[in-house]
Amino acid sequence: MTSPPAEAATRSLDAGDIEFGDGLEILLSTVFQSAEPGQTIDVATSSRATALELPGWARSTGHSAEQDWKETNQDGQRFIVRVRRGDVTPVLAPDLPARGDPMPLRLGTQFHTSDLISAAPERIPDSADPSYGLVPLGSIPEAGGPDYAWRLNRHDDLWAEDLTDLTERATSSQWDATSDIPWSEALDLPEEVEQAVAQVMTFIASNEYVALYVPAKFLPRVNAAFVDILMWLASHINDEARHVEVFTKRALIGGQRGYALASTQMSLHSLLEEDDFSSASLLLNVLGEGTFIDLLGFVSRNAPDAATAACARLAHRDEQRHVHFGISHVRRTQKLDPDSTSQLIGAVEARAAKLATLTGLSPVLLESLTILASGSARTAELRRGAAAVNELTKLMEVNRIRRLRAAGFDLETSHYLSELHTPNLM
Amino acid sequence: MSADTLLIGAVAYHERVVPIWEVFREYFNAQGIAVDYVLYSNYERQVEALLSGRIDIGWNTNTAYVRARHESGRPVRILGMRDVDSDWATLVVTRKGQGVEKVSDLSGKRLALGSRDSGHAAILPLYYLAKEGLNPSAGELIRFDTDMGKHGDTGDSELKVLRAVADGKADAGAVGAPIWASLKNKADPLIQGLEVQWRSEDYYHCNFTCLDSPEQGPLSRWSEALLAMDYNDPGLRNAMDLEGVKKWLPGDENGYATLAQAMADQGYLG
Repeated sequence: MTSPPAEAATRSLDAGDIEFGDGLEILLSTVFQSAEPGQTIDVATSSRATALELPGWARSTGHSAEQDWKETNQDGQRFIVRVRRGDVTPVLAPDLPARGDPMPLRLGTQFHTSDLISAAPERIPDSADPSYGLVPLGSIPEAGGPDYAWRLNRHDDLWAEDLTDLTERATSSQWDATSDIPWSEALDLPEEVEQAVAQVMTFIASNEYVALYVPAKFLPRVNAAFVDILMWLASHINDEARHVEVFTKRALIGGQRGYALASTQMSLHSLLEEDDFSSASLLLNVLGEGTFIDLLGFVSRNAPDAATAACARLAHRDEQRHVHFGISHVRRTQKLDPDSTSQLIGAVEARAAKLATLTGLSPVLLESLTILASGSARTAELRRGAAAVNELTKLMEVNRIRRLRAAGFDLETSHYLSELHTPNLM
Repeated sequence: MSADTLLIGAVAYHERVVPIWEVFREYFNAQGIAVDYVLYSNYERQVEALLSGRIDIGWNTNTAYVRARHESGRPVRILGMRDVDSDWATLVVTRKGQGVEKVSDLSGKRLALGSRDSGHAAILPLYYLAKEGLNPSAGELIRFDTDMGKHGDTGDSELKVLRAVADGKADAGAVGAPIWASLKNKADPLIQGLEVQWRSEDYYHCNFTCLDSPEQGPLSRWSEALLAMDYNDPGLRNAMDLEGVKKWLPGDENGYATLAQAMADQGYLG
């Protein structure tokens, strides 16, 4: 300890008896960050041990202790260490900007995702640097992070109108496959009906797998700057995981098991191979899930028990969002780039070529759908069930063409694409 | 390997030494100074390599530098040191509330020291305490001679010193100021019942040492490039953090007089 220097410090800080580990380092950090490099600060402490630790703290944080001395007054001893502020920047980034406006709330309490996207201090870019980091919207990235290598870097290639509203709806209409289905209603079906339901549910569950894997395949390729796309795909994945869960549960609840048919696997495998996001959206969202909406509607209307009906009804609600996205995205893609139309048609043709050996919906499945809709295997009811299945097939085709038209294809092309669509439904 | 590549020796006291030197080598090469590095398992081998000309520069502890200077038979030169090396100090710590006011209060107490070849945790503490009038007998010393040859770089012996004090197996212990600051910064439970009782004067610690020779141009250019390393360069920050440096300083031989005297007094220089 030496005597006080003749020259006064730029400023001083009386730290009292607070010690390192008790918050002194936070106090010091705040004071030193607000000082300019080169300025001196006299730090006073009533603790000799703390005074002995101050030079080490200064060095470890990029400052330097220059001198120390002791003062005695009526309150006792004070130890003072003069520290010169270094020029180290703790975070390699520009200074944080001044505090901006708060984000808007609806009804005084709700912070909507679309408002976050539109009111955030930074816009989501049209195209993003492939090396962009995991930088949350509106935050300031520090230099020196690792380089990422995202593959999907153009927002238009992934976006659709209503995207954030669809995500919002997905969040607000979550349901629980454990407790939101009246499971006990499914326990008393006659054996032939339960077998048919188990087969249809197994078929649907198989298809939900591909609806899960396709968005999940694209999500890790999406540039982290596109948080709206990420949230949408995550909601899609979450929906499909629950569908796999609920239809697997329904398939097995009655003790019966169904076949995972090879023709179904073949069709789904070809969908998983599509590597272009918009083409996959046409194949999965517009054609596959679109057709599935009609199937789920059919099951919910004709199910022999309330549990099966509830499974189909809740999944139907989710699939409508996915189909809405697909139609909106494919329409926008064609509008922005008229050349994309031929690429989209080519994707449907290529898939159809791979599925040339599939001639129709599996007889096993057709049979099960008929019994499901009949509620029994008796002649009178079977006739009614068969008629319902025939109606479904027609409805699927009409609606498929309607959706293709909504997605921006002309009438002739819509008929052509509908014809090419897999007989497996998804 | 071209003849004009500068070969730098460093001791592999931790796995991080490799990433540090990979980045530093790239940095020097980008400055147009061809550099490569070679790692040793101990400072004695590295000093030997420096003195025999197998390496051009040694990244030495203060103890290794003093030994190299003593054994070289000709002048050695310092090409740079870290900011943290310019005001290194030794601390003596005890458990809180031991009523220790001054160093002489530790008379007759058990003192824990780090590795015997550590300047800051063994050699200098004995030297400074003797100057303060404290000369512990051999029976009063508890030595933790771990990682010998690495001169205390691993910090292992200092952690053992602190553990011994915390557990009451020693009454006081000597450690370097940086390890104490580092443990404090992360609120390490090991030291929560301990406090600093004494801090030595500042002394120099590590430096880049080379032999003095007529051909100093490349070494001077290397030194200038070292001193120009910028902690605010995102490509260097992580490696500089691993090396514990925010700014490189020129260094000089004046900060080693005390250690040289202490090593001579304690028989380290033959």
